Amino acid sequence: MPQNEHIELHRKRHGRRLDYEERQRKKLARAAHDRSQMAKTLRGHKAKLYHKKRYSEKVEMRKLLKQHEEKEQKNTVEQPDKGAVPAYLLDRQQQTTGTVLSNMIKQKRKQKAGKFNVPIPQVRAVSDAEAFKVVKTGKTNRKGWKRMVTKVTFVGESFTRKPAKFERFIRPMGLRFKKAHVTHPELQTTFHLPIVGVKKNPSSQMYTSLGVITKGTIIEVNVSELGMVTQGGKVVWGKFAQVTNNPENDGCINAVLLV
Amino acid sequence: MTSMYNFKRITVVPNASELKDVVLSKTQRKTPTVVHRQYSIGRIRAFYARKIKFLQQTLHDKLTQIINEFPKMEEIHPFYSDLMNILYDRDHYKIALGQMNTARHLIDGIAREYVRLMKYADSLYRCKMLKRAALGRMVKLLKRQKSSFEYLEQVRQHLSRLPSIDPATRTLILCGFPNVGKSSFINNVTRADVEVQPYAFTTKALYVGHLDYRFLRWQVIDTPGILDQPLEDRNTIEMQAVTALAHLKASVLFMMDVSEQCDRTIEEQLHLFESIRPLFANKPVLIGLNKVDIRHRADLPAEKAALLDQLEKEGIPIVETSTLTQEGIMSLRDRACDELLAQRVEAKIQAKKITNVEDSVLNRVFVAYPAPRDEKVRAPFVPPGLAAKRAAKKVAAQNAMEVDDVPTSAMDGIGEFRDENTRRLEREIELAMEDDYILDLKKHYLLKNPEEKYDIIPEIWEGHNLSDFVDPEIQAKLESLLHEEELLEKAGEYESDLDSDDEDTKEKMQLALQIREKEKLLTLEHAVNKRIAGRVGSRVHTRKRERSMSRLEHELGELGVDVDTKKMKNLQGQCAKPQLGKKMKIGRSRSLSAVRPAPRDEIAFPDEEKRAHVNKLRTKAMRGLRREAKKGEADRHVYDLKPKHLFCGKRGNGKTDWR
Repeated sequence: MPQNEHIELHRKRHGRRLDYEERQRKKLARAAHDRSQMAKTLRGHKAKLYHKKRYSEKVEMRKLLKQHEEKEQKNTVEQPDKGAVPAYLLDRQQQTTGTVLSNMIKQKRKQKAGKFNVPIPQVRAVSDAEAFKVVKTGKTNRKGWKRMVTKVTFVGESFTRKPAKFERFIRPMGLRFKKAHVTHPELQTTFHLPIVGVKKNPSSQMYTSLGVITKGTIIEVNVSELGMVTQGGKVVWGKFAQVTNNPENDGCINAVLLV
Repeated sequence: MTSMYNFKRITVVPNASELKDVVLSKTQRKTPTVVHRQYSIGRIRAFYARKIKFLQQTLHDKLTQIINEFPKMEEIHPFYSDLMNILYDRDHYKIALGQMNTARHLIDGIAREYVRLMKYADSLYRCKMLKRAALGRMVKLLKRQKSSFEYLEQVRQHLSRLPSIDPATRTLILCGFPNVGKSSFINNVTRADVEVQPYAFTTKALYVGHLDYRFLRWQVIDTPGILDQPLEDRNTIEMQAVTALAHLKASVLFMMDVSEQCDRTIEEQLHLFESIRPLFANKPVLIGLNKVDIRHRADLPAEKAALLDQLEKEGIPIVETSTLTQEGIMSLRDRACDELLAQRVEAKIQAKKITNVEDSVLNRVFVAYPAPRDEKVRAPFVPPGLAAKRAAKKVAAQNAMEVDDVPTSAMDGIGEFRDENTRRLEREIELAMEDDYILDLKKHYLLKNPEEKYDIIPEIWEGHNLSDFVDPEIQAKLESLLHEEELLEKAGEYESDLDSDDEDTKEKMQLALQIREKEKLLTLEHAVNKRIAGRVGSRVHTRKRERSMSRLEHELGELGVDVDTKKMKNLQGQCAKPQLGKKMKIGRSRSLSAVRPAPRDEIAFPDEEKRAHVNKLRTKAMRGLRREAKKGEADRHVYDLKPKHLFCGKRGNGKTDWR
């Protein structure tokens, strides 16, 4: 025991107080009351946090209980009638455990879910009014032919801006993204991969050509880091992925690899 | 003494989730919370950007505090650095702190990135989502470093309980095999109170105790036992002892068990001594032969004694001790201390820091003499006037000595020597002139034109020059006015007679005189009446009775005013008008006696007999209570002194009386 652990030292020399065990027991017994009192009196943000925590604990507990129940559950299933049966086989039932049953159900559910596991089948259309902001130009700010893209865009490396007089669409530097968080659906892992290009923006062909990235857009990503190989043995370096979030709201691009 | 190596001051390292809650709620508390869609977009952006920046700053501060407070391995004394390496693993420690640093850096980056993105947000919703994402990402970084936070907290707790060893001070280190009596020795010479048990490795960490010897404070370190094995095989417990031996400049007390009760023979113990001998280089070493109460050195077999003798010949003193009987303990301690002290003093002398106790300060003072570059004499410059001045001063002093019997004049008494050029003090002048002295503050004024010194300074009051408002001829003006008035009076300007011979006016005057007389009469009459009748009643009532048309006619007629109905035609219209509002009630109002219910006891028991009986019963029932001065039914009773609804629940603003 190190030198300065005074409490432990005292405990070692003189033991705990005589009613220690009882106090512990009482404290434990009282804990539920204290907790409930706390839950009642807490207010505001703290209450919110506390109740959320408590709720998740309860859910966890309930799940655990249910698991145990399933495991312990034993019921009998009537065998379907298979014609005439000898007397000694009459009244015979088969015992099944609950786990097997529920496992089967889960399996089925999974399969069913898998059917629709395409990343995002439907996307909300993004209107021009939403994606572009009119920029007033001209000496007296009367002209309104210029547009600024308000969504996240991908701009290729070789892009050079046109002279301001001919530049109809401005894609601001702050909203240009070069990398995306791409999840491999089977590996269930996420990689931070460079974007190669925008394949298709379902809202409009113009968005595709501008490189606007919204939810549901198909982008091409550089997967050379992943070391994927084709059946022929060549290294795959470009693959498509679908964007699953609203990049302009989240400040990052999340996508699912289309395999 | 050990202030430099006090690790007790490191603040608690919160765990990741706790820190998350703390910083997020702090952000919520310390930044504005109300924003509306219709605000200008710039304001909304600023609102959310502020939240992001605030969280970043808070986290930055917290992480910086952690990074700064933990000792840096490179900067602390090598003893502590090695000890920490053994106890906490240098790499692990550095990685944990490095991760804090990285997290801090990343958080700064995230905040910067999102504040930049906020610039392009065009709606409250987008701003809000961006803020949410930023806060989430920053906090997520903390969650990833969960294990580092936990590790650092454990390190902190352990560090704070390390014995505070000062690596620079006078130290004795005890070492040797386990169970040879190191802890017993330290318990004997200090108040360290180390646990002593009859099994090996009772002591698992370094212990420190202090003793006073030769009026100096000494630090004694008890180390865990060391086994005789190569350095690579040593475990954490042994390594602590090795670290202390390697890094502390101290006197080493190698404890041996002469009775061999620790299951090690003397040969083995001496072998250990030889193997760790490189650690004792340049340190005074002593061997304590412990447990002589069981077996004396003299009783040792010849070959073992020879080994010890050989060591003694090498110049390593061997002291026989017994921690049980306390024999030889003090002598061992004293010898160890003396040797260390001698060595330290010698080291200091060699460092030329000390030559003598008296002029130790002079030793530290350095006086530079520039090397002469030529033959020229460069004597210090003394102003020529100084010599004369000094001589005059001397003469003055002698004069004063000679005329000692004469009472010293006031001028001499004040101040020191002055020559004729020095301005005289005002006090000196005062003493010289005695009663004729007038304090003249103006004579030393420094002005452009010295003749203006005594000019009168205008007196200014509330921004006005007082002299502007003084008229020097006011007296003369008053005189002339008075004179004029007198002349006018003499000329009879003020004696005016208003007697006018106008007929009409005369008549009016007559009438007025009559009215005045009448008034006087009435007043007198009233006073007489009042005396007789006393207080008659309300003025309103009495007047009412008097106010009749005939009386008005009569009275005014007496005065010569005709108040015929015809003449009063102009008032007819008013009379004809119906009275507006409620008619005023005049005189005493009719009295009304209120209907009162019968007393309550009568209502309860209308039957008189029954009532008497009940009363009797009641008094009987109350008798006991009354005798004991208890609260009866007639006493005031508050049903609920502390009504629950007023004493529970939160008390917000204005909720004192109802909740």
